[in-house]
Amino acid sequence: MADDTPSNPNLRFPEWQVAYQAALLEVDPQKLPERLKAAEAAIFLRQQALANSPDGHAERQAIEDAMHALGFLQTEKLGYPDWKK
Amino acid sequence: MTKKRVLLVDDNATVRGAVRPLFDSHPNFEVCGEAEHGREAVEKAPSLRPDLIVLDLSMPVMNGLDAAPLLIKILPDVWLILFTAHDGPEVSRLAYSAGIHAVIPKSKAATHLIAQAEALTARRRYAAGYN
Repeated sequence: MADDTPSNPNLRFPEWQVAYQAALLEVDPQKLPERLKAAEAAIFLRQQALANSPDGHAERQAIEDAMHALGFLQTEKLGYPDWKK
Repeated sequence: MTKKRVLLVDDNATVRGAVRPLFDSHPNFEVCGEAEHGREAVEKAPSLRPDLIVLDLSMPVMNGLDAAPLLIKILPDVWLILFTAHDGPEVSRLAYSAGIHAVIPKSKAATHLIAQAEALTARRRYAAGYN
C-alpha cells in the first residue's frame, strides 16, 4: 500500500510532526479521523520517549501547541463533545 | 491480594495499547476491559465492575468529564483518573468538579500513572508534584 503521508525534510521534530502535518493538511473528511488519531498516537509515543529527558523544552512546547490544534479539529471538524463548555 | 480491576477508556487504540501493559505487568492490577468513549464505558461498567477507570478527556460521543458523574452513579466506590493530553489548572478544576479523583497528563504515563493508581486504590493521596 502506498504511503500518502506528506513529508517535509524541514520539520524540526519529524518523529511526530509528519503525522501532525498530515492531519492538519487533510482535506478529505473521511480520512481526517484516522489522520487525527495517527497524530495523537505519534505525539503520545514521543511524549513517553521524552518523559525522562531533562532536555526537550522546545519540543514539549511544540507538542502542547499541537495538542491544542488537534483538540480544535476534533471538536470543530469531528464533532467531539466540547469539554470546555 | 486480589488484583484491582482497571477499565481503560480512550478513543485512541495506540494509547490503550501502550497503557494496558503498564497495568497488566503490575502484580496489583488487571485490565478488565476497554472502551472507546464515555458512553461505551457507562454501558460496560455495570458488568465489568472495575475498581479503577482511566478516562481520556477528549473523546467522541461522550467525553471524560461528562462520563465521570454517570460512572460514579453506577459504581459509587470506583476510582477515576483523568488521563489527558490537555492538562493545566482549568482541566483539573473541571475534573474535580466532575468527581474525578486524580488528573495525570499523558506525557507522564510511564512515570506517574501506575503510582497514582496504586495510591488511589490503597486510598492514599499521591503527591506527584508535576503541576
